[in-house]
Amino acid sequence: MHVLVCEDDELIASGIVAGLTAQGLTVEHVATASAARAMLKVAEFDVMVLDLGLPDEDGLKLLQQLRHNGLELPVLILTARDSVTDRVDGLQAGADDYLLKPFDLRELAARLHTLLRRVAGRSVNLIEHGALTYDPSSRETTLAGQPVDLSRREQSLLQALLHNRGRVLSTEQLKDSVYGFNDELESNALNVHIHHLRRKLGNGIVETVRGLGYRLGPADGGEQHK
Amino acid sequence: MMSLRLRLSLTLGAAFALIWALAAAWMLSDLRNQMMFSLDQRLVASARMVAGLMEQLPPVPSKGEGTHFSAEQLNIPGGMACQVSSLRGEILARSHSDPGQTLEAEKMGFHDQIIDGAPWRSFTLARGDLRITTADRQIEREALNMSILLAASVPVGVALLGCLCLLWLGIGQGLAPLNRMRDALMRRSADSLEPLQVQPLPSELQPLLDTQNQLFQRIGKTIERERRLTGDAAHELRSPLTAIKTHLQVARMTEGAARDQSLAWAEEGADRLHRTLEQLLLLARVEGSLSFDDGVQCSAEQVAKLAIQDAAGGDRERIRFEVPARFSQAPVQMPAVLSIAALRNLLDNALRHTPGEGPVELSLQTTGDRVQFLVRDHGPGIAEDDLQHLTQRFWRNGQSTGCGLGLAIVQAIVQRCGCTLRFDSRPDGLRVELTMPLQPI
Repeated sequence: MHVLVCEDDELIASGIVAGLTAQGLTVEHVATASAARAMLKVAEFDVMVLDLGLPDEDGLKLLQQLRHNGLELPVLILTARDSVTDRVDGLQAGADDYLLKPFDLRELAARLHTLLRRVAGRSVNLIEHGALTYDPSSRETTLAGQPVDLSRREQSLLQALLHNRGRVLSTEQLKDSVYGFNDELESNALNVHIHHLRRKLGNGIVETVRGLGYRLGPADGGEQHK
Repeated sequence: MMSLRLRLSLTLGAAFALIWALAAAWMLSDLRNQMMFSLDQRLVASARMVAGLMEQLPPVPSKGEGTHFSAEQLNIPGGMACQVSSLRGEILARSHSDPGQTLEAEKMGFHDQIIDGAPWRSFTLARGDLRITTADRQIEREALNMSILLAASVPVGVALLGCLCLLWLGIGQGLAPLNRMRDALMRRSADSLEPLQVQPLPSELQPLLDTQNQLFQRIGKTIERERRLTGDAAHELRSPLTAIKTHLQVARMTEGAARDQSLAWAEEGADRLHRTLEQLLLLARVEGSLSFDDGVQCSAEQVAKLAIQDAAGGDRERIRFEVPARFSQAPVQMPAVLSIAALRNLLDNALRHTPGEGPVELSLQTTGDRVQFLVRDHGPGIAEDDLQHLTQRFWRNGQSTGCGLGLAIVQAIVQRCGCTLRFDSRPDGLRVELTMPLQPI
């Protein structure tokens, strides 16, 4: 899951980035509203974590404006202000969830998964695809009931594909989701992960769309190639 | 306490009733005297008339029996008695037949007498050898008096009652604006701070309403400021707490170098929380009424040296300190803790906004009975518009790492101890001038 964290406090931001990364999420961090706008233009994100007290602009205003411009990304607001008015204002501005500082990193991750699930219209957290099941919060993958051991990158890759069922993802988009912007990356690293994923889950799990990128294979794809 | 309307009505009504009662008593006693006088005059007139009649009548035969004239014959008004007697006391004529009723005719003029247990008023007139006595019953006079009294007092009583009613209504009407104000106040919820709207209001009450509304407005502003302040304080305390908690959790999830890094960050968060708490407590104490006077007296130079120690920590050489050769050793006239804290915060700020290892300059100067501390940093300065925010609590310039309280504390100390604070921002750095009063030597 590709997360954009917009938080001006460097100390907190580094904690969130480290904590979410440790829980298997791919995280970008920006400290200002203008940086957040720029980042949303150049990359695809699954969810946004927004602190309200940004130095250059009020977080609520930013959110309102983004929603006005048609942004559908689920947004979780982080704030230290706990009055009911603040919370209502936040939700009215278009936030999908609200978490009060100080928070628990596991709760933050769980809520982000729930937001994503809600966007995908699923009522349980488990993603099923043919014989494959994937639980985003526990990051457990099973194939035909048997647990499969996936590395963190492979999980991110699988998740990106599962969340974008039927859509073709370009190599760049997949790199964003799996590595984020900060990791230096060898040119064939993505291919290596795709190769591993195919080996563990069956060739049909990732379909190559020549010249465009990759997409999730059909639900019974895994079975055919076994 | 009794309602204003009832109180006013009772006081005014009682005064009214008393004055009216006195006037009525005066009037009635006058009326009674006049009536008694008129009735006496009637006795006199009747006696004279009988005397005139007696002169026209043939001489009365002197018989022992006495002749009775009827009252009609002598034309005596009803209710009156008349008696004609000789000088010797022989009754010649009388208007009533009862022989027991003999009117006393010895003395001339008016006379009150009791006949058969009933009080009479009589008048005796001597004419030749006759004595003519007329009399009427006191009881009849009293009955007449009573009926006059009654006739006079009923209208007075009705008028008095009417007046009291009008008084009650009038006072109610007059106090209506007060009632409207009371109703408007009662309709408000206890924590409402909306201005009170009562229209129309007499000129006497308008200032009251205006003062009240101004007070509401002031309270509203104060509450809003306090609310914002507690919100800010919550934010300032929760942020480092969040950093600590988050990094501790990360430390639990990771290992090796990442874990050490997280623990270091958590510690940094704890330091920040500590600083913020210290500054908040200091600010609360400076703004409160606690005494800081511990008897320690510091000269301006000592204050500067201690503040430099507190502010710089390890890199004391970053602060360039200049003292004029002949410098006053007079102690500053304020608690040493506060003078050091104020200067330390200024130095802290200057160090924070001077990039890299750039120097901060501190110089001293005395003018009269004041000492002037001049702190100059080599930072980018501050925008003209932001100067007014400098001493605001929790305001930070851009990405500053301070807790946003340092200059607010300086401002609070300045206000408490009669110092002055002036900012001068130039592109090559901010100059801050802090003056403190010196004790006269």
